[in-house]
Amino acid sequence: MQRRLSALTIVGPAIAAAGLLAVPIQSFAAERTVHIAGFGAKSGVVRSFGVNTEAVMLAAAKHINSSGGVKLGDGATGKIKVSFYDDRCNAEEGISVLRRIATTEAVVAVGPTCSNVAEPLFGILQKKVGDDKDTGLQFPVFTDTAIKGGLAKISEWAFRNVPNEMEMYRQMFKWIKAQNPDLKTLFGGVEEDFAHSRFTWYKVMKTRSGDAGYEVLGEAKWLLADTNFTTQVRKMRKAKADVVAISAHPFTTCGVLKEMQRQRVKPKLLVGLTSSSSLETLQGCAKQAEGIIIPTSFAPVTPAAKMAADAAAKLGGSADLHSAAAWEIMNVMKGVIESQKVMAKADTLKADRRKIRDGLASLKTTGGLLGKIQRTAEGEAVKPYVYVHAKAGEWAVLHNPIK
Amino acid sequence: MEDFLFDLIDLVQSIADGLLFGTTYAMIGIGFTLIFGVMDKLNMSYAAAAIAGAYSSIAVFAVVPAPAPVVFLIAAISGGIFGYVIYLLCFRFIPLTSPLATLMATVGMLLLIDEIVVHETDGMPQPYPALFDDVMIELGPFGLRGDLMFVFFISVVSMAVLLYLIYRTRLGIATRAVSQQPVAAQLCGIGLERTNAMTFVITGVLGGIAGAMIGAAVGVLSPLLTLPFTVKGLIVTVIGGLGSIPGAIIAGLMVGAFENMFQFLRGVTERDMYVMLLLFVFLFLRPGGIFSPKAGRD
Repeated sequence: MQRRLSALTIVGPAIAAAGLLAVPIQSFAAERTVHIAGFGAKSGVVRSFGVNTEAVMLAAAKHINSSGGVKLGDGATGKIKVSFYDDRCNAEEGISVLRRIATTEAVVAVGPTCSNVAEPLFGILQKKVGDDKDTGLQFPVFTDTAIKGGLAKISEWAFRNVPNEMEMYRQMFKWIKAQNPDLKTLFGGVEEDFAHSRFTWYKVMKTRSGDAGYEVLGEAKWLLADTNFTTQVRKMRKAKADVVAISAHPFTTCGVLKEMQRQRVKPKLLVGLTSSSSLETLQGCAKQAEGIIIPTSFAPVTPAAKMAADAAAKLGGSADLHSAAAWEIMNVMKGVIESQKVMAKADTLKADRRKIRDGLASLKTTGGLLGKIQRTAEGEAVKPYVYVHAKAGEWAVLHNPIK
Repeated sequence: MEDFLFDLIDLVQSIADGLLFGTTYAMIGIGFTLIFGVMDKLNMSYAAAAIAGAYSSIAVFAVVPAPAPVVFLIAAISGGIFGYVIYLLCFRFIPLTSPLATLMATVGMLLLIDEIVVHETDGMPQPYPALFDDVMIELGPFGLRGDLMFVFFISVVSMAVLLYLIYRTRLGIATRAVSQQPVAAQLCGIGLERTNAMTFVITGVLGGIAGAMIGAAVGVLSPLLTLPFTVKGLIVTVIGGLGSIPGAIIAGLMVGAFENMFQFLRGVTERDMYVMLLLFVFLFLRPGGIFSPKAGRD
């Protein structure tokens, strides 16, 4: 009895102490951190893009974490932690930032903002997965904003969730033609020194409007930092086209629209660049932009999209067609981490990155804020879209092809 | 023949538009040239401060709505304050004997001002009030923008006031004395630091007006404006002759007109190349610019 008591007095507290110790150890094992890096322009004239993407990523991470986090490969729970880096929309800095991210615990990087960064940056990634001769960086990158067509095919580690402009404009010009059969001619305006706007005019708008039956009468060119558009708009006025399509970012789009108003150039229809369906355009020239039609892959028209927009606004960001893609990416990442049994441990980092890449490559469809998103074999997305127009100082949905 | 006539009309119209817009280049050029003339130093942050002056005016306008002329006035005052602050930070306490020190300080100031504006606005274009922006004066086949005519008028008045200040007032005499013979000027009792500071305030006010006029002509303010106006201002200063105010005026108009002419004839992608070529022609054939100052410094 005496011996039993003394055994209990020794073993009992030991078990209790072990139990007490086990609680934090167990909870430590059960809850780990999944690091996701974001990068984009947070300085310079495109700062708003990075600010919005960061806010949306943080909002999405908060939403996922508060809904229980992500289930890791060993059954533990992972909480997502977002770190955001500034690449200043500069190719060299973008590459350096990605190399830096690769040395951290991040399992994937979301970004960049600019196509001129994305193109060379994808070039430093390993081209073909498993190619031992290729010493390129083996790190999955999932792009939310850089929109220039066909970039993901550069590397099998690159993926994008950006709208497919070819498809959006093809359908939109077809729809416009069906709605306004009397409109026959089109004149273009292009920001010549910006990768995205240049690509969109020459490879997308010009060809797709031609396919829809429009006669393209010509184009006026200007540069991103131009301030005087009199010569270009005079050319536009001379052409007397029914439709004017402007492939330019908000600053020069507003400059051109104001000049068009001065020179009384009133086309029957105005079409704009995807990226101009933003707050910037309305802030710069709401009156002159009235009626401009733009296809976009984001508008707060579904409950999920409204929730994402509200969550981003609470963190000081704005969900637009670019940043909202980051919300979708974060949710796709949650699915991939769970399906690929990512461990989120220091010693599994390399394997986790590979699992994420393989998981992303195997996706055929993903969920999206406007509806289901198709994934292509080249790592690109085919996203649902709507046509918006500027109406009384706001972007309103003009037509929803999904319906 | 008809096509040729249309093209000729368009060419003349392009040159006229360029001339009107060139007044903004002239005002920025004057700021560069005046500081160079007085201190023999380049203030690289001048155009950035001019645009920042205009930004300050819309920041005030956002709190207290005011008519456009009041906004322009606030821009001028803000420009003057920026000018003085730049003098204090980049010139007053930095040894003037080291030309690179002040140059690099002003380059740093340019980047600092630009980044502050970017951070405050997230880089988003901000609408700027304009006067007569819906007016188009039609003269036969030609049209002149009402707002650019206004910008032209304000620029001409500002330049006339500046010329009066420089050539008809005691301050102007002091400024010119310091510009031509700083040691002799000091011996005559002219305060070098006070004159330099006043030069920065005056050019700052002119810069603020230039920033406001640029905002009014473009219709929006954006950090994108800083670099092109810095480059154009420097080109104008070199072509006009370092230190020459009439030279800066003529060169500003000339660069505006040439820019539009080359844009019309060769397209936007070649335009800047020809403007640079014009600069090289001047550097090669007339390195002192159109009006190189006769008198040298000590």
